[in-house]
Amino acid sequence: MPRDAASVWRSVSAGGASFAFVALLSLSGFALLLVIAGKNPWEAYVDTVVYVFGNAYGFSELLVRMTPLLFTALAVALPARIGLINVGGEGQLYMGAWLTTAGELALQDHSAFVLLPALTVLGFVGGGLWALLPAILRALRLVNETISTLLLNYIAPLIVSYFIFGPWRSPESSSYPQSPAFVEAARLPTLFHSRVHIGLIFALVCLALYSLAMSRTRFGLEMRAIGGNPAAAQRLGIPVSRYILIVMFMAGGVAGLAGMAEVAAIQGRLVSELSPGYGFIGFLVSWLAGASAGGIVAMSFLFAVLSSIGDMLQITQGLPYAVINILLAGILFIVLGRRPVASAAR
Amino acid sequence: MKRISAFVVALTAAVALFATDPVSAQQKPPLIVGAIYVGSVNDYGYNRSMKDGLDEMKRNIPGLKLIEAENVPETAESERIMEGMIQQGAKLIFATSFGHQQFAFNLAKTHPDVVFEHAGGWMMSANFGNFFGATQSAWYPMGVAAGKMTKSNTLGFVVGVPIGYAIGNVNAFEMGARSVNPKATTRVVVTGGWSDKAKEAAAAAALIDQGADVVTMHVDSPATIIQTAEGRGVYSIGFQSITAQQLAPKGWITGLGFTWGPFMTGIAKSVIAGTFKPAFVREGLGKMMAIAPFGKAVPKDVRALVTASAEKVENGFNPFTGPVTDNTGTVRIAAGESWGGDKMGSFDWYVEGVIGKAK
Amino acid sequence: MNTALVLGVLASAIASGTSLLYATLGEIVGERAGIVNLGLEGIMLVGAASGFAVTAMIGDPFLGVAAAALAGAAVNLVFAYLVIGRRANQLATGLTLMFFGFGLSALIGRPFVGTLIAGLPKLQFLSLGSMGNPLLAYDILVYLAVPTAILIWWLLFRTTWGLGLRAVGESPVAAVAAGLSPGRLQYQALTIAGLLGGIAGAHLSLSLTLTWEEGMTAGRGFIAIALVIFAKWNPLWAIAGALLFGAAESLQLQLQAAGADVSPFIMNMIPYLLTLLVLIVWGWSRQAAAPAALGRNFVGVE
Repeated sequence: MPRDAASVWRSVSAGGASFAFVALLSLSGFALLLVIAGKNPWEAYVDTVVYVFGNAYGFSELLVRMTPLLFTALAVALPARIGLINVGGEGQLYMGAWLTTAGELALQDHSAFVLLPALTVLGFVGGGLWALLPAILRALRLVNETISTLLLNYIAPLIVSYFIFGPWRSPESSSYPQSPAFVEAARLPTLFHSRVHIGLIFALVCLALYSLAMSRTRFGLEMRAIGGNPAAAQRLGIPVSRYILIVMFMAGGVAGLAGMAEVAAIQGRLVSELSPGYGFIGFLVSWLAGASAGGIVAMSFLFAVLSSIGDMLQITQGLPYAVINILLAGILFIVLGRRPVASAAR
Repeated sequence: MKRISAFVVALTAAVALFATDPVSAQQKPPLIVGAIYVGSVNDYGYNRSMKDGLDEMKRNIPGLKLIEAENVPETAESERIMEGMIQQGAKLIFATSFGHQQFAFNLAKTHPDVVFEHAGGWMMSANFGNFFGATQSAWYPMGVAAGKMTKSNTLGFVVGVPIGYAIGNVNAFEMGARSVNPKATTRVVVTGGWSDKAKEAAAAAALIDQGADVVTMHVDSPATIIQTAEGRGVYSIGFQSITAQQLAPKGWITGLGFTWGPFMTGIAKSVIAGTFKPAFVREGLGKMMAIAPFGKAVPKDVRALVTASAEKVENGFNPFTGPVTDNTGTVRIAAGESWGGDKMGSFDWYVEGVIGKAK
Repeated sequence: MNTALVLGVLASAIASGTSLLYATLGEIVGERAGIVNLGLEGIMLVGAASGFAVTAMIGDPFLGVAAAALAGAAVNLVFAYLVIGRRANQLATGLTLMFFGFGLSALIGRPFVGTLIAGLPKLQFLSLGSMGNPLLAYDILVYLAVPTAILIWWLLFRTTWGLGLRAVGESPVAAVAAGLSPGRLQYQALTIAGLLGGIAGAHLSLSLTLTWEEGMTAGRGFIAIALVIFAKWNPLWAIAGALLFGAAESLQLQLQAAGADVSPFIMNMIPYLLTLLVLIVWGWSRQAAAPAALGRNFVGVE
């Protein structure tokens, strides 16, 4: 349904005002907490603003931090549209990274023209297959996907650890458990001499595709129908099981791309600690964003800013980084408490 | 109602913000040093030793400002933290954990005017140096102590991550034990991470269950393992920081600790004077490493033996002199051969007497 | 297979399974009332940190356990208010609670990292195995774990209160029609869950490791959530499940000490694979062991 500029502006500004209110409230509340803890919130916030917006590095790091969240949030938003809950972003990320590394080790001697597309595909497939298993179990009505994706989150990092302690252990770095470094041709190109890499472009493209698909294609329409009322959709002839499989595969694939980006761009090799909870944060981002592409970008940005505050708190105030989780949770609690009725298809 | 409460919160916060004092002007320090730790400095272990060294450096150079961050993970996050410190004016950065290497190295490239010192790795550049203790030979006298004190002839070694250096430590330990007690064997349990307290407690318990009456470790913090050993009534030998002794009043034998202070002071002074030269520094007993005081339970003759053994190591004794056989019977170091410092990271085999698989 | 190994694994399993059991019991109570709490990890962390902090300050580990229980309940009440009072989405709120607990526990525990405490005293009844392996020398929480499970079972299945609670979990509408107050019962359930979750965390910091470390539960809260399903929401089955998972954790370390060549990673995967397998098998012979109105979208494959 076409929307005129005025109504779009109204909804955007209403969303924006809501966003601003929540942010202001939480930042103020957190400042209070800092004061109680004996720290200077003004210093912390000013230092953060200077660090983040005052120089190119700080700002580019915001983009670097956002990138994996864009992927993992989409990995949650996509299945949410058909009423599925995917909390398996962590595991899918690891398996995407794993398959990417397998590809890199096998195709090392090829040029970047071969490697980069191949690794991207492998990252997607790795994560996708990892999400396919829960999808199959769900489609066969055996196991609920929330629990199965949750369990697989624990198995994936163990698989990665097994390989980097074993067959893929790098001999060069005194047998430290990590894979050998990726060859130059396998590294994702970066932008503007910073650490921002083309993974960001991939993520934005995926989000754009998602937005278009949901609003303008038949697939999007059918997905929303399933999300609204699966039984009715089934009766209308929509192949619900097939959608479950395909959508979960794509969702896992997107999370897998986050994993690929971690090993091919940030780390430059496979290591055992790839993700500080990107999968879970992605779930929260998607939830806050109402599963909309624009919302995902905005919320990922907010989380990246919060992360930077956490760093500054650690360096200038001597607080553990983890307290930023209190601020994060505070914001979320407020948002969660404001919506009186939670509906499945947001 | 919600709006009013929100307003009150905001107002209170605003008042709080302005009520706090602005930062007062300070005298300019001769140097601002940044340091990142992978864990907490209160670990009676690795991080504690780093902190003690940095504190000593700070005492030796009046006015020096030290910015620290604990619990910095070995991920890209460390790069951001270090960058933040550089923005705060740090001109010397100590990246104290192995996994910080790559990220510190990245920053060294973009900040040629800042000096980086990394602990435990191998990378070097014009403004990037590397340092660590030469731990392997220092474990030999520890093995001597354990070999003499054990009654069950089973020693237990908990290893966090089975890197070459850690395996070398176990090997030197066993060789030292064998030199005074040919029946001594060492059992090894790998927890898979440098710091996982629950696993370390369980690992120590497992070794004790299998008969070990002396337990030691190569993990970030010896605390949990020593406490477990003390609780089960067995001996313990500490590692990383000599302050760990207080955890085991009955069972403490001795331990190895790092003394980073003089080295760090030297580096800081060279940075202030502008004479810094990158170097790959590995120093052992007497310089970067020290033996902890002996526990009550250790008799005089054992103390003398251990001290003598330590002196031998300080004077250049290298336990990795052939012939050395691994625990499958293969000769790994031929007679007449000697493995030096550069080979310490390449161990992927255990010596005779160690029960476990390195690969 | 030497006896030292078997006894060692058993002793270890009991020790590490205790914390899992308490957490699982708490989650069972909550889920029987229809509420799934993914933030159990956060509750356990807050319990561990609070218990450790109080013990470090006052010196009495029993007070520490009490403090941990109360802290767990307090934080869970925040969760309860949001999901019951404000009808917030349970999964999102639960995950938020996990982050909250992580940060709050870090803040509480920070001043006490490295403090030496005398943990819960071990009560020795028998001594079996080599090296005086104290197979029966555990702290009071271990001894109380199985009785607590039985108590919870009795509460849920042999009291009117329990019947009402389970009715709420099956169908809140029917419960209201029967004159019950679902909200009140759910608050009570979540209070109990918070108490038990806090105790579960306290066992880690006051008995197993005698330390506080950020994030020290290392996923045990999520294991407990899986355990609830493994146990078919039955407190008695939870005992077996907790023992199994506790054993898997320590088995690979014990095998290493005995000289066996095992991959710690493969071994650590086993509990999760097992749970998944069990779920698949039960999915086959489906019928809702789960409370029908659990968590809205949480369990239900319609």
